[in-house]
Amino acid sequence: MDPLSAAMKIAGSGLEAQSTRLRIVSENIANARSTGDTPGADPYRRKTITFGQQMDRTSGVETVNVKKVGVDEGDFSTEFDPSNPAADQKGVVKLPNVNILVEMADMREANRSYDANLQTIKQTRDLISSTIDLLKSQ
Amino acid sequence: MQPIQLFDLASRQAEWLTVRQQVVASNIANANTPKFHAKDVTPFDAVLDKSDITMARTNPAHLSGNDFSDSGDIDVKEAALDQEIGIQESGNTVGLAEELSKSGDIKRQYDLNTSLVSSFNRMMLMTVRK
Repeated sequence: MDPLSAAMKIAGSGLEAQSTRLRIVSENIANARSTGDTPGADPYRRKTITFGQQMDRTSGVETVNVKKVGVDEGDFSTEFDPSNPAADQKGVVKLPNVNILVEMADMREANRSYDANLQTIKQTRDLISSTIDLLKSQ
Repeated sequence: MQPIQLFDLASRQAEWLTVRQQVVASNIANANTPKFHAKDVTPFDAVLDKSDITMARTNPAHLSGNDFSDSGDIDVKEAALDQEIGIQESGNTVGLAEELSKSGDIKRQYDLNTSLVSSFNRMMLMTVRK
């Protein structure tokens, strides 16, 4: 595979990986207050995402993809709210271990990386079209 | 200087530039991959100085010198550490700003390359037409 097509493919895989990351971030933010539904039950656990390199067998190009979606084993925060259905005997409710600030920072970073990959695709497309322009009659 | 040499030189530089673009794309795509080390290609003058003798690959399964180029005379190595960023907590060494500026460099050089080729081609055609 020629290097320019390979560059397109790699940047495309980067876009896909970063958008999956954005999906995970939005899941975490949407579930920032998802408690359990039975007394004392565990609430939503924050999800994490890890990227890794993988060889694309058809083209022999090393692309990037999502290696693992895991969960954050961190401690839950608690709140005193006896009226909540998830409250235990003492009236304490466990809340998800999602920190909105961390998620926002993660979202920003995913956005930046997405933009960078997009920029690479545009740049590569320009290189290809300036090669094709050599064929234009002058 | 013979015209043929210029075209040969230009196409070698174009190949080097496209391989570099692929390496930069791979660095940017892996900006958040744990333990990924940024890579770069050898400078163009080093590629030019190197002799063209490499073992022929008669089968696609044969190993080439690197993953990025079939011709074997372009080496892809780990890039020198970007001091401003250093090694991140995840073991990653990619600096996005640096990679984007590299990509801009490549674009500029490639534009120069293609315009040189096209103007040289025009000059040759001029001599052919009566």
